[in-house]
Formats: sequence, C-alpha cells, structure tokens
Amino acid sequence: MIDPASGPFLFDTSAESWLEQPADSEFSRWMGAYLSHHPIHVSAVTVMERVRGYSSLWQRSAGQKRYLVESARLAYLSALGRVWPLDEAVAIVAGEIMAMLPDPPTPPRRSHRWAESRQERLARWRFDGMIAATALVARMPLIHNNAADFEPVRSAIERSPVRFPGLGPLELVRCGSLV
Amino acid sequence: MGPARSLKVKKQRTTLTLPSDSLAKAKSIARARRLNLSAVISEALSEGLRVYAATERSEEVLSAYRKAFSGFTEEERALLDGIVLERAPRR
Repeated sequence: MIDPASGPFLFDTSAESWLEQPADSEFSRWMGAYLSHHPIHVSAVTVMERVRGYSSLWQRSAGQKRYLVESARLAYLSALGRVWPLDEAVAIVAGEIMAMLPDPPTPPRRSHRWAESRQERLARWRFDGMIAATALVARMPLIHNNAADFEPVRSAIERSPVRFPGLGPLELVRCGSLV
Repeated sequence: MGPARSLKVKKQRTTLTLPSDSLAKAKSIARARRLNLSAVISEALSEGLRVYAATERSEEVLSAYRKAFSGFTEEERALLDGIVLERAPRR
C-alpha cells in the first residue's frame, strides 16, 4: 500500500476513472485519506480528453440524455483539483518522448462492434506522452491504469537520461497497487 | 501601525471544558516548546479544523467524480476516457 500522505501524485486519465468506485470501497477510503493531504493533480491534457468526450456525447444525444451528460460534465469540472498546464517545459519533454517513441506500443482498441481508428490511436498515444512529460516536469509519480502505454515511456526515459537532464526517472504507480 | 502589528490575528477569550489527558499533553508540549498553553491549543485546533475542512471537501470531490462517470454505457465511458470508438466495419 502507498501512504496517501506521501503524495501529491499526478492522475492519468485512466486513473481518474477509478475515482468512480463506490464510497465503501478500499480505493475510495484511500482517496479520502489522500484528499485530506493533497488535491488531485491532473494534466490539462486529461481535462481536454474528458471535455472532448462529454462534448461529443452531448452532440450525439438529445432530451434527458443531454441533461445527464451536461450534469456529468459540470460535476467533473467541479471536482477538479490542480490542473497542470502544457507549458514550455512540458512541451520540450513531451517532444523528446514523441521523438523516441513515435508509434503507439499497442494497436487501436477494438471490440466486436466498435473500433478505434489508427489516427485516433496515434493522437491518444501523443496525449499519453504529454501526460508523462507533465509528471516528469512536476516531479510527481504518475498514477495510471494503462501500463501497456506508460511502461515503454518509462523504459525509454531510463535508456536516454541525457535527453532529460535533471529529470526522471518516470515513477509509475498502478491504481491497483495504491491500496 | 507597523506591519507586524497589522498582521496580528484577532483573538478572543473563551472558556472550554477539555478532556484531562488532552490538557495534560498540551501542557507538556507547551513546556517542552516554551510556548504558552493557548498557543499550543490554538495550533492543534487549527490543524484539526484544516483536516475537518479537507475531509468535507474530499467527500464532495469523490461524490462529484462518481456523478461525472455514472450512467454511461461502456462505449460512452471509453469516449470519456479519451478513446474514440466508431462502429466497426462488418467483416
């Protein structure tokens, strides 16, 4: 178990989704303890991914569903803690990550009815690079639920420390290992 | 009025009934840190109020996150997580 007081941590988009867990879950109790010490830190990229999602759902829905989507969007925005900007330092580090790892390590998501396009997969991969860069610049461990994408980033940074002077290593913590 | 004086926190005298063991501990801390008892109790109260406010805020935050992510299908949840899915072409 990770000591909740040992934060703050940067929450990846995949980790933020875990915050939905029921109030009586171990994870929620851990989060309650964490929040009594630190706010939830996220990258502006995570906020962008979410708002894009809410807005796309809003556009394709009508009536009561639209109301639900808008209420959920407002609830999300009201819960935000510290949002880290995509500034000069993050842009430099993210550019280095993207140059080292131009291609996504896993194929586009697919189910029997749905599929992610290659273009969307590449965009999501670039966003992950920006989020990892934010964690490095903020010098915070990155809480995630997406080892397939972030482990290659961590390894690449470890192999080329000269490209990340004064930064790193990228510390990754899986949601499941918090409690 | 000098800057130090203008920053002075407004204080108020009151009477409290406290558990004897807590009071004994506070007196012991005050002696060890060479502070008066009011300063030690005031510090402990401020920290307690900070934790209380943080706990209240944490419940608000977690409840807002639950509302933000509930009532959506699996595909909609994927979209909220930044994964844009389209209908797969028939094979």
